[in-house]
Amino acid sequence: MTLSVSNLCVERAGCTLLHPTSLTIQPRERIGLVGESGSGKSTLGHALVDALRGQNVRVAHVPQSPDEALDPLRSMSYHWREAERALQCTPDRQRQQQLFRALQIHQGNLRKRPWGWSRGMQQRFVIAMALIGSPQLLVLDEPTSALDPVVAARTMNLLDSVLEQNQTSMFLITHDMGLAAKRVTRLLVMDAGRIAEDAPCSSLLQAPVTPAAKALTRHRTWPAPC
Amino acid sequence: MINIVLGLLLRTAVVLTGTAVATFTLLWLAPGDPALAVAMARYDSIVSTEIIDLVRAEAGFDAGFWPAFRAWVFPLLSGDFGRSAVTGRPVLPDLLSAIAYTVPLALAGLAIGLLISLPLAIIATRNPGGLLDRFAVAIASLGTAIPAYWLGLLLILLFAVKLAWLPAMGTRTPLHILLPALTLGLGVAASLTRIIRSGILEARTQSFLPAFKRRGVIDSTIGKDHIAPHAAIPVITVLGLELAFLLEGAVMVEVIFSRPGLGSFLVNAVEARDFPQVQAVVIVAALLFVTINLLIDLIYRVIDPRIGESNA
Repeated sequence: MTLSVSNLCVERAGCTLLHPTSLTIQPRERIGLVGESGSGKSTLGHALVDALRGQNVRVAHVPQSPDEALDPLRSMSYHWREAERALQCTPDRQRQQQLFRALQIHQGNLRKRPWGWSRGMQQRFVIAMALIGSPQLLVLDEPTSALDPVVAARTMNLLDSVLEQNQTSMFLITHDMGLAAKRVTRLLVMDAGRIAEDAPCSSLLQAPVTPAAKALTRHRTWPAPC
Repeated sequence: MINIVLGLLLRTAVVLTGTAVATFTLLWLAPGDPALAVAMARYDSIVSTEIIDLVRAEAGFDAGFWPAFRAWVFPLLSGDFGRSAVTGRPVLPDLLSAIAYTVPLALAGLAIGLLISLPLAIIATRNPGGLLDRFAVAIASLGTAIPAYWLGLLLILLFAVKLAWLPAMGTRTPLHILLPALTLGLGVAASLTRIIRSGILEARTQSFLPAFKRRGVIDSTIGKDHIAPHAAIPVITVLGLELAFLLEGAVMVEVIFSRPGLGSFLVNAVEARDFPQVQAVVIVAALLFVTINLLIDLIYRVIDPRIGESNA
């Protein structure tokens, strides 16, 4: 099913953070969102998730930092159960173990609270949690910033295969042009609260049109091993 | 865990030792002749110098500071609080019966305080800055400003004199605890409302809450399982302080409502310069405070084990 949102707009304290934006996402499409810090990437991600949730679309969101996803006073197993309950899923230990093994966090103690785990493990736990309900769209906000390159690549590979199986679309917010070049097919460039450029990934990287895209592609670090 | 418990016990020992030394020294240095005061309290009339000397020797005042201190402290270590200088009766049973009046009063005050402040704070935070919220904050500020003795008199005037609904003086029936507990509870409710309110508002701003909403967790679960525990941490701190305040405030309220308890026990003991009794009250009060603090520390560690992880 094609997902579409129109006229997403965010204002805070009289300041427009996101100018009216419309987006259409095809099934299984991999979209990357790049842009300099403060250009409104995360804001667009949040607005997109909230709008699609309003349309009863199954959409999962992985915030930038595990601190924004986990309650420090609650155990990991509590978080998992709560997420299952919120999606009205029956508890499925096998699926949980499968995801944990794939993300290499099966050795983590679920009775511990988030701060008993390393940040990288917390981040992978949050990613695993986002995959519980087989969402139609997965919005990932800098998913690999807390991970070392090896684990990051493995995590992205796992995500690739899970997304393939479930026909899930991906919306990847990132600073890492190399990551975007490898993982997405369509690239959006964000600049000052607007989508400045929207093009297939390869053509945008080779021939950027807008100044914002040119600035981002000036330092050619891709294809990086990610 | 053993380290934590040992650390807490060590702190307790230090506090109690300090209290014992400070109390004894201050009483010893206080102006006036304690032997004279004791003798007058005992015989209720003008007494001759021989009797005063007799009392002085009996109480050990003539032996000097250190012998007197040792004579008091060593029995204390085995739980012997000594005998009253005035009546000659053991201090502990009288003290315990006084506590048996005061502790229920303090707890009833706390219960009333919580019963008022918790719903008030929750209603106030439904719409922060709204009319109800401002009303609650105003009431809370007013409550903090009103002294217990004045509030107690007003409550007596209204409920006991004008309406004749509740008894005011003494402890004859369980109903007698209501007015004094209400006096204490209203004072506590005022500061608790403010702290619970700000605790809830603070807990609501935590950065992880939007993610829970996006995950589809319903609001009531977020409130119960994620906001409440975070809001509880500052509230528990204040609750401990409030309990201490309540025991202290109970002393005054007991005098207003002419109830027996720690209040009258302490006042009588101080007036008669009955050193063993005064010292016993102070030591027991310190023990209560330390116990409350210990409990709070342990509750913290259950809610958020990060607290105290480093300083145990």
